[in-house]
Amino acid sequence: MTSPLSKTGMAACLIILILCALTPLLQSDYLIDVVTEILIVALFALSLNIIIGYSGNVSFGHAAYFAIGGYVNAILLTTYGWPLLPSAVAGVLAATLTAAIVAYFCTRLTDIYFAMLTLAFSMLVWAIVFKWRSLTNGDDGFTPVHVPAMIDDRTAFFYFTMIVIVVSIAVLWVITHSAFGRSLVAVRENVGRAGFVGIHTRRMRWQAFVIAGFFAGVAGVLFGMYHRGMYVESAFWTQSAQVLIMTLLGGIYSFFGPLIGAAVLFMLERLTNEYTEYWPTVLGVILLAILLFQPDGLVGLGKRIKNKFGGGGSP
Amino acid sequence: MKRILAGAVALAAMGAGSAALAQDIKIGVLYPTSGGGAIYGGPAMVGHNLAVDEINAAGGINGRMLVTVARDSKLNPAAAASAAKEMVTKDGVDVLMGGLSSAVGLAISEVAKQEGIVYLATIPKTIQMTTSKLHPHVFRTSSNTDFEGDAMAQLIKKIGGKKVCDIQLDYAYGHDLADGLKAALKRHAPDVEVVLDLRPKLRATDYNVFITQIMGAGCDVVTSGLWGSHFVDFAQQASPFGLFNNIKAYISGGEVASHEIAGKMGDDYPPNVISNTYELWYHAVSPNHKVFQEKIAEKSGTKETAMWPVLSYTGVKFYAEAVAKSGGTKSEGIIKALEGMTIDTPVGPRTINAADHQANTGQFWGPMVKKDGFSYKVMDPVTYIPAEIK
Repeated sequence: MTSPLSKTGMAACLIILILCALTPLLQSDYLIDVVTEILIVALFALSLNIIIGYSGNVSFGHAAYFAIGGYVNAILLTTYGWPLLPSAVAGVLAATLTAAIVAYFCTRLTDIYFAMLTLAFSMLVWAIVFKWRSLTNGDDGFTPVHVPAMIDDRTAFFYFTMIVIVVSIAVLWVITHSAFGRSLVAVRENVGRAGFVGIHTRRMRWQAFVIAGFFAGVAGVLFGMYHRGMYVESAFWTQSAQVLIMTLLGGIYSFFGPLIGAAVLFMLERLTNEYTEYWPTVLGVILLAILLFQPDGLVGLGKRIKNKFGGGGSP
Repeated sequence: MKRILAGAVALAAMGAGSAALAQDIKIGVLYPTSGGGAIYGGPAMVGHNLAVDEINAAGGINGRMLVTVARDSKLNPAAAASAAKEMVTKDGVDVLMGGLSSAVGLAISEVAKQEGIVYLATIPKTIQMTTSKLHPHVFRTSSNTDFEGDAMAQLIKKIGGKKVCDIQLDYAYGHDLADGLKAALKRHAPDVEVVLDLRPKLRATDYNVFITQIMGAGCDVVTSGLWGSHFVDFAQQASPFGLFNNIKAYISGGEVASHEIAGKMGDDYPPNVISNTYELWYHAVSPNHKVFQEKIAEKSGTKETAMWPVLSYTGVKFYAEAVAKSGGTKSEGIIKALEGMTIDTPVGPRTINAADHQANTGQFWGPMVKKDGFSYKVMDPVTYIPAEIK
């Protein structure tokens, strides 16, 4: 499950990376936008999976850190005229710090209580963003976000996003495949046993939450700059639900699962919206299908198909 | 060889030129057509489609047909911004139109600025759009909170109000309207005193604490921007206290005089309410207006139509006129054409101010009364208060 990347896996990653990097050559603004957005939501979903897939807790409030990263960066860039680097770092740190505080309380609980508390904290963040009009412009949304001239161009922003996301994903990969990541999986599989072999389970869950908050913050920073605006809806529980569904759809027991889930759900929503306004219905059916028939998501489905037809590999 | 090449290039250029001439004009339109917003977005699309059908039936604009590319704005600004971008980059729309909530309007406006494409805001009212966040590509054909507040101040003066209790929802629209009203009171009736400022939450359902405060404040006029279900809940809870009977008038923005609200509330609609609306299906200002109302009624399947179609209809008409005037769909030309442009809308002539890109869209205001032949309250007399800040 947490084996290092195989040769084929490495090759696949490389090919996808090169294809992504070549997107601007197709001269389609639409494609550049779509790939940029997918990269951002993919990182958001991957970050959530550190909590769900690796530490075994479900968070209903992950949008909070996404929104904090986005808002802090947007406000510092625009209202206070900070340069990009300190402002983005401050955005990510604010998200991480909040995650650290929230996790301190949440990791004292497990299961549904954990989930509910994450939801409560995220709605608190939403309420603050909504009410603090002088700073966030409330529900009118914080627009425009001043994006530095260097990355103001569509293609430049695409490459900037791609570099940040690829580095983030690489770091996440290293973290999840280190001794720390493996211990986390042990915690997920059996908290009691993990505790007996000497793992400080609560601290590990806290650390996982903080890491997830950090990368959600990174995604939020990019999201705000991509849209040139931050909106209270990004802190609302529906945003948390959306990223949760992406993660589930891709598969929580695989590192790349959420990335695939994010890309598939994003494109499905885009294409559905072109033809009908009944996206929520489609989403509901997808969710039902995953929960009832495919709890390990698309990645699990892919593995099963491979085992059945490819014949190779152990089940 | 060179000559052949040059000839081929010239031919290709000519071909491209004539193809562009006959090309359809694509309008990217964003209204909420799912969930809670559908009750606004649905009727808005009716008006939009009527305008497009009328123009196409008359041969289009300079021979070019209008085509609508519609997306659900979902009342979500980030989703609306993504959809707007997609319509520009993928579908190649020539203009963006629509929006409902202020946040969605500002989000689309931001996309318009980035992509260098014109956006006509047909419904959003936030004053920021044409003040602090104004840019060359955004135009508003609906009213705004300053106009609305100004009309309310004029009405307070007219009925001789002295002490005002103001109750506004605690979010952007409520705050902006309160500001617009206060500024207008200074202009029209500086002696009027606002004795109470109340801010119930957006989507509040319990107003009892506010009702008793208003009852105890001794004001003779209550001003408000509680819209839709907020007004319905407030009225139903305040009526047993006799709040509406104890004051000269409840002067409200938020279009609670529209038939959507009055028709739904029936006998529960409280007395002494003076409010506004963009359109009243039972009141036509001209024969043209009457024809428009009949067409909308036919498309909506009821004669008691909503007030939204006239707004979306007007947006399309402004754009069509701008394309005709500038002779194309290039944004620079459209901007130049729209600045200062006057067109005839079903509810009278409207002009877009060249300086702030705001149309002088006023509203119908008047007291809501019981009238023979109606099972609900109707506006009578109907007065059009023009959008002018003096």
